[in-house]
Amino acid sequence: MDDLFNPTSEHRTLRQTIRSFAEKEIEPQAAEHDRLEKFNHALFRKVGELGILGLTVDPQYQGAGMDAAAVALAHEELSAVDPGFALAFLAHTLLFANNLSVNGSDAQKQRYLPDACTGARIGGMCMSEPGAGTDVLGLRTTAVRKGDRYVLNGAKMWITNGAVSDTELGDMFLVYARMEGAPRSKLSMFIVEKGFKGFSLGQKIKDKLGMRASTTAELVFEDCEVPVENLVGEEGDATVHMMRNLEIERLGLAAMSLGIARRCIEVMNRYATDRKSFGQPLRDFGQIQRHIAESYAEYMAGRTYTYWAASKLDLDKPGGRLDSDGVKLYCSTMAKNVADRAIQTLGGYGYVGEYRVERLWRDAKLLEIGGGTIEAHQKNMTRELARTEKLP
Amino acid sequence: MKILVPLKRTADPDNANKIKIAPGGAKVVTDGLEPKPNPFDEYAVESALRLTENGTNPKARLAGDSVVVATFGAKEASQTLRQALAMGADSGLLFEASDENLDGDLVARALAKVVEREKPDLVVMGKQAVDGDSNQVGQILAERLGWPSATFAMSIELSQDKKSVIVGREVDGGVIKLKLALPAVITVDLRIVAPKSITNHVTPQTHNYQEGARYAPLPMIMAAKKKPLAEAPFASLGVEGVKTSYVKFEAPPARKAGIKVKDVPELVQRLRAEAKAL
Ligand SMILES: Cc1cc2nc3c(=O)[nH]c(=O)nc-3n(C[C@H](O)[C@H](O)[C@H](O)COP(=O)(O)OP(=O)(O)OC[C@H]3O[C@@H](n4cnc5c(N)ncnc54)[C@H](O)[C@@H]3O)c2cc1C
Repeated sequence: MDDLFNPTSEHRTLRQTIRSFAEKEIEPQAAEHDRLEKFNHALFRKVGELGILGLTVDPQYQGAGMDAAAVALAHEELSAVDPGFALAFLAHTLLFANNLSVNGSDAQKQRYLPDACTGARIGGMCMSEPGAGTDVLGLRTTAVRKGDRYVLNGAKMWITNGAVSDTELGDMFLVYARMEGAPRSKLSMFIVEKGFKGFSLGQKIKDKLGMRASTTAELVFEDCEVPVENLVGEEGDATVHMMRNLEIERLGLAAMSLGIARRCIEVMNRYATDRKSFGQPLRDFGQIQRHIAESYAEYMAGRTYTYWAASKLDLDKPGGRLDSDGVKLYCSTMAKNVADRAIQTLGGYGYVGEYRVERLWRDAKLLEIGGGTIEAHQKNMTRELARTEKLP
Repeated sequence: MKILVPLKRTADPDNANKIKIAPGGAKVVTDGLEPKPNPFDEYAVESALRLTENGTNPKARLAGDSVVVATFGAKEASQTLRQALAMGADSGLLFEASDENLDGDLVARALAKVVEREKPDLVVMGKQAVDGDSNQVGQILAERLGWPSATFAMSIELSQDKKSVIVGREVDGGVIKLKLALPAVITVDLRIVAPKSITNHVTPQTHNYQEGARYAPLPMIMAAKKKPLAEAPFASLGVEGVKTSYVKFEAPPARKAGIKVKDVPELVQRLRAEAKAL
């Protein structure tokens, strides 16, 4: 009964529950929040009641203590109805909660994780900057210790959940910075809350192509005061935190791609039966068959690769680098192509909102950029592979 | 109080339009449709949970109360039971059977055996399964047990002493209220999952439930793993033999396209001349 995609009966029940919640509660609001470019905070809290915001967090801090396969299926199911909302979920659940759960101290987890797990407060992670994205070690935000505080200066860019509305900051963030004078490879990570002196919303970024149901913001640190107990790990420790957490992030983003692809295939598959042209259903035409069949085969290849990688990924240890880059490299472009073929199969009807594929196509593009560009994945993977003579 | 809720897995009712009829009308083909719990059965589980909890703490049954879910079906149907356990039911019973070898009467006889063993004070079930729409199991079961029954319940009020229930049934032009002495059989309709349709004198009057059947929260899904789920062959119940056989299935005739009228006079004229409605 259990399979690669649902390793245990609990995974299967979780998938069914999220799917039915997504269809009934998330789907009806998706188009509107995309159009208005607005995050649905009330819905986010409702997802908190499902107990999935702390998916991987230790039950001791009110999390669910689930594994990478659960991460994959949750993101897949949410993204099949609303990738923008799913991205906000990912930033909170993986970038903030999982990251702190793996790397934080007991006191830090006690203090921040229960609120993250219920959704009382929303979290995010600040890595990218206006001047440093792919070259993340080129980040310029600095920290200096002054007595019982650290003082942070700099700006962060593209931060998902950075704002909850046009003017209001998100609640809590993990912020990567460099101790003044520290070498390039030594980053440090701090927990920064809304309300800390010197921490403000630079701007909520508008007119995004897709993922419009999640907020993206520039955040500013101007002599921002952070209590010393909010340093996560030791000074200079955080490059490892970052690399480790990027693995589960990429798996989540690959799974979001799968959700998009699945939905697009369902739409084009149905449409190809219903729509007639020259007296025949579209599915009788060879070129349409190619769109549908190739999409399905690529989707299943990506899905199998992703859940296989999930089965190998240990949330507490680094080492899944090659395949977490690999699944996102493959699935993001696959989802974009599948969405494109869905639009093509639907013709003019695909180009407008009614059939969803237009929105999914816009959302899919982000997956080739966020959490690492496809070029970054190619770079990382080729470097990893340089150490490998024979493949498994 | 112990409540028994029978459950059935059906082909995804939201995609009922994709059901096909096998050539010759021999059977209904549901290939490719996701199996889901019959929605009325989910409402029955929700009702049973509401009857046995304080709505402000839906994670726990009241002391002395329990909810048992049972199904007759393929091995995979245990998934449906697990889901009900994750919603809050206490234990599950799967009697392995193939749907083709069951009819309403046999299911009711089998349920009567389950009732004999489990000795519930109340059976709460869906008014019908959305696949066959037979709407008969609850009625036959009550008859076989010699228990009072109320069908199509839209509200249930459990008495303070837990010895009787008052069931509201929606009928044309109003609501009939029936008082049943327990043990009894209740079949539920859609409205039973409205925010205030169930009263048990423990959940505060002011409490509003969310409309619909509850979602199983993840911690409860994990906890359900440890709840008892017993599996046995259907034959172990000692009942057999279907009395109904299907002669032929036919798809309903395709609906004709409607027409558009340009104004009210044309509408009136057509209603009079063509539809003969005026
Ligand atoms: C909607 C959205 C949400 C995001 N959310 C977050 C978030 O929550 N937190 C966060 O920290 N960041 C977030 N990001 C930032 C994201 O991770 C970066 O945009 C991404 O890493 C790319 O960085 P960049 O935009 O600076 O592009 P650049 O790094 O400047 O890249 C520009 C182009 O050059 C290519 N390139 C760069 N270097 C190389 C190289 N060495 N070899 C080959 N090609 C190269 C890139 O692949 C790309 O095509 C988000 C971005 C978006 C758009």
